[in-house]
Amino acid sequence: MSKKAPAAGLSPRGRALRKIEPYIWIAPSVILMAVFILVPIISVFQMSMSDVSKAGKIKGFNGIANFTKVINGSAFGLVLKNTIVWTVAVVVLSTILGFVLALILNNQFRGRKAARAIVVFPWATTLVVQASAWNFIINKDYGTLNTLLLKLGIIKEAVNWTPTPEAYFAWEIACGIFVTIPFVCFCVLSGLQSIDTTYYEAATVDGANYWQKLFKITLPLVKSSLTVSTVLNIIYVFNSFPIIWTMTKGDPANHTDTLVTYLYKLAFYNGRQGEAAAVSVIGFIILLVCASVYMVYTLRKGDDE
Amino acid sequence: MNGSAVKKPMSPQKIALRVLLYVVVIAVCVVTLYPYFAMLCTALKGRGEIFSAEGTVLPIKALWSNFIDIWSRAPMAKYLVNSILIAGGSTAIAMLCGIPAAYALARMRFKGQTAFLGFIIVSQMFAPVVLLIGIYKVMLSLGMTDSIWGLVFINAAFNQAFTIWLLRGTFMGISSEMEQAATIDGCNRLQSMLRVLLPVAAPGIVTTLIFIFINAWNEYTVALCLISTDVYKPLTVGINIFNGYNMIEWQYLFAASIFAIIPVVILFMGIEKNLVSGLAAGGVKG
Repeated sequence: MSKKAPAAGLSPRGRALRKIEPYIWIAPSVILMAVFILVPIISVFQMSMSDVSKAGKIKGFNGIANFTKVINGSAFGLVLKNTIVWTVAVVVLSTILGFVLALILNNQFRGRKAARAIVVFPWATTLVVQASAWNFIINKDYGTLNTLLLKLGIIKEAVNWTPTPEAYFAWEIACGIFVTIPFVCFCVLSGLQSIDTTYYEAATVDGANYWQKLFKITLPLVKSSLTVSTVLNIIYVFNSFPIIWTMTKGDPANHTDTLVTYLYKLAFYNGRQGEAAAVSVIGFIILLVCASVYMVYTLRKGDDE
Repeated sequence: MNGSAVKKPMSPQKIALRVLLYVVVIAVCVVTLYPYFAMLCTALKGRGEIFSAEGTVLPIKALWSNFIDIWSRAPMAKYLVNSILIAGGSTAIAMLCGIPAAYALARMRFKGQTAFLGFIIVSQMFAPVVLLIGIYKVMLSLGMTDSIWGLVFINAAFNQAFTIWLLRGTFMGISSEMEQAATIDGCNRLQSMLRVLLPVAAPGIVTTLIFIFINAWNEYTVALCLISTDVYKPLTVGINIFNGYNMIEWQYLFAASIFAIIPVVILFMGIEKNLVSGLAAGGVKG
């Protein structure tokens, strides 16, 4: 290969090589993602518009039949509502709590390092384990939450923490928030640490109070970190499977199902793969719309300022 | 707010704020650690004690033998080896594919660059669970259902976005002058990347590496769906052998869980600081 020659002095062969060189560099990555992500994506879209046998064989094109079947299904409305409640509650609350926690951990205090190390725990723990632990803790008969509260004398008799499916779902949301907070917190912390302290000093000189500094300096400057963490969280939480699967499997009667647990059951328990593929596509469209609206909205607002 | 060396006595208001800060921090830590505390206590109890009407918080007598029993009651050693192979293999493949791609994106201009970046972002919107049906079909045609290799490739592929994202940010944060100098000295691109760029980018690379390892180690959904033979299961799926339909062996489930989470928590604490700045760098330098 020609080494030092400037681009202009390259032979035609050398120039051609230089042109295709970047593609050689990205080729392994492209092949990997094409085979294991792109092909499955195409396959799911194809199946969503096909008549699929129980064994997964495509029997022919059937247009939007799978979609109408899914949408008219008795459980779909409930599942969709659950998915929205789940995603909005977990993302919004974990973002607020994570942000506040980051503000707290950004102070100088003794034991700050230890506190930050502890806060990272739920992020590092696999979700199945975290969900099993919560399932055990809130059990009415032998859960440790009841035991602890009884011993401390806070309650007189064992409380049934999950009297209704809705209550169980609320606990699943709590668990989701619990494991999502660290991610938000650390994204915000990274943003906070890059803020120049002279801004605050100048504001203090000008007589700004804590809240003015928070809303006029801190918030605008960590916005890009918050946008990244929120977009990623919307995607992850929407698609989150292990917590709900471990705690309730979507039972009873779809009351705690979200789109992903619902489609898992459709595909692998009921052998209705065409409909499961349709649920996947619906989920993807919702996600794409939400994420792009959010990104366009925040980026546009950023440009105005 | 620099709390170093107290020169003047603090005002009552400041003291109150300080106390409040500590109260909140301690409360957060207690709540965060509580599930782990409950798991550890339960892992040390006997079956009878867990289900007794008079519940206990701390175990009456710590049964450390539970931590030994799990190795004979389930193929834990197999699960552990599988988890190591899956996480290690995924990380290796993700890095081998991701480093050159991130390098090309950071240092070269080419047609289709934006499209490639766009695909990376869109690929993030498809969690494996949404594509499971499609993944299952691909695996069937490659003969990789019920195999560790299938999980290695899936994890590597679904971590490409993060790998490229983090590494591109790292590479772009490093000036290319040194590499240009190396090129003039007669290095080709590959040599200049290997000898000049990668050593400088080592912290970012280690962070990325550990992050992928953790993601693959913690992966549950795809493994649950693809693996049916017990001895091919990773820890995340395997430990549920103690979470049976008729009877849950909580003490064993949690003893096994603790084995599954300790290595990861330690790794994670090591990279926590770098990971977050890496995330921010990758995101900001769009």
